[in-house]
Amino acid sequence: MKATTEKPTVATKKDTRLTESLNQVLADSYALMALSHLAHWNVEGSGFFQLHEAFEEHYKNLFEAIDEIAERIRALEALAPGGLITLGRMAGMDEFKSPMPQRDYVAALIVAHEKVVDDCTKARDVAGEVNDLETQDMMIGRIQWHQKTLWMLKSFLKA
Amino acid sequence: MIDDLLRHPGLASGGDVDLMLDLRWRLHQHDNAEQVLSLFCELRRRLEHRHYLAFFRVRRWLEAHLIAVVTLGPSAAPCFAPVKVDHYCVEAVRRVSLCAALEHGGQLTAPRVVFAFKGTLLANAQA
Repeated sequence: MKATTEKPTVATKKDTRLTESLNQVLADSYALMALSHLAHWNVEGSGFFQLHEAFEEHYKNLFEAIDEIAERIRALEALAPGGLITLGRMAGMDEFKSPMPQRDYVAALIVAHEKVVDDCTKARDVAGEVNDLETQDMMIGRIQWHQKTLWMLKSFLKA
Repeated sequence: MIDDLLRHPGLASGGDVDLMLDLRWRLHQHDNAEQVLSLFCELRRRLEHRHYLAFFRVRRWLEAHLIAVVTLGPSAAPCFAPVKVDHYCVEAVRRVSLCAALEHGGQLTAPRVVFAFKGTLLANAQA
């Protein structure tokens, strides 16, 4: 039996829609990482220890993911955007200011995670349209992680 | 967001539902920001502990769509300040907006703070 490997189409590597959608995932993931780090530092209250640790897990996960996403953009022969000012301008989420009640940190991060899920969903769909299964797989993985994190954060808010 | 809360099975009290419907109507009318804030603060006191995320989302929406029109004295020109819905009573929210306006200087003689929808204010200014 002849083994075949279907090569990505030329369109996959040159399709700017895909890299543009990945750029948005990158920018918003970077912003979410920074917000999670801010919450990790500044959260106070009875839930401090569990939230402080949870937020640390989140920003560490995001740090690794951001690197993988940027390298995927490079593999698609586009340049990855970077730098705080550039990514800050691109990001589509509001920053929050400390101090806040601990539940506000959790709620604000829920809203931010939801934005990233939205970005990843769009990138997943575009990747499907251009038959880039590798990028699609990566976005599916990111969506799964964000959804699991959302479940945990929302559970914390329930009285 | 308000409709999601209305659909929630935990919203048992008739009084809560009435207030929620009043708020929904006022938001739809988009004309009385004072009343909207007053209703929201009342609902927040009653229900937020059970629906924290929903109330957080409405708070953030109100902060994005409302503005405080501040006059520091009878002859002072009005200035604008952001609305922060961190408190559970309208007067506390009003005080925060006044403090924000005072950061830009000015003499406090007979201050007045009135809340308005940004969109309505802009439309009136253009008219």
